[in-house]
Amino acid sequence: MENGLGFVAAVNLVIWAGIVLYLFVLDRRLKKLEQRSGGRDGCIL
Amino acid sequence: MIYKILLSIWMSLIITAVFLYVEPATGFPGEVSRILFFHVPMAWVATLAFLLSMIASCVYLITRKVNADFLAQSSAELGFLFCFLATVTGSIFAKATWGSFWNWDPRETSIVMLLMIYGAYFVLRSAVPDHEKRRVFAGVYSILAFCTVPFLVFIVPRITTSLHPEDTLNPAKPGMDVKTLIFFLGSLCAYTGLFVWMLRLKVRVLRIMDKELNVKFKV
Repeated sequence: MENGLGFVAAVNLVIWAGIVLYLFVLDRRLKKLEQRSGGRDGCIL
Repeated sequence: MIYKILLSIWMSLIITAVFLYVEPATGFPGEVSRILFFHVPMAWVATLAFLLSMIASCVYLITRKVNADFLAQSSAELGFLFCFLATVTGSIFAKATWGSFWNWDPRETSIVMLLMIYGAYFVLRSAVPDHEKRRVFAGVYSILAFCTVPFLVFIVPRITTSLHPEDTLNPAKPGMDVKTLIFFLGSLCAYTGLFVWMLRLKVRVLRIMDKELNVKFKV
């Protein structure tokens, strides 16, 4: 925990948690929209 | 779903380890060498994304399948994002080691040129109103744009004198200890996984937008 590295790691982890949360929420919302517009026919990914 | 949860945990472990477990590389001031675990994977993902965009463009031009164009566009957008982040992290490294955020070093100049080339790709996409023409033009441009990537990313910084570190931080050369190498490769995998996750989301967004647009035109 020298030189404030623990703090920097914590900040990075919070940022990463925010990104993950955003991606999961986006994923859920896209699923709902896909269900509304008739599924994922012929999708590459 | 499992892959996304595993990726989230894996990236968290990597972040914790690179700050609290791995020792900083010798020959650099303070803790600045730790940026290696973020900067290099970002540059790697950018190169991978541009390559994927070029391949998807080729597939589109041959098959004319719209999904291939969605993949090409999404990949180019994410490549641009990661290239920009690599530039920002590189600039932070430059400030800590060379005393200035920007030095017009060959590596810095080449990455700016790359950003401009792919910036023009998005300008081209937004400038052509006809969908079919836009996809063809963008596909051809993406292939041409990728021709510059090996030159700007790998050749230019190596044939000119650059301040950019190669020996100490390049895993292909001796100088990186085993522990650092393991977490470096772990970080590369985590960033690649993140790229795949984001790419899938972006392609799905484009598909939904395309469907909505088609419905509007039919109405």
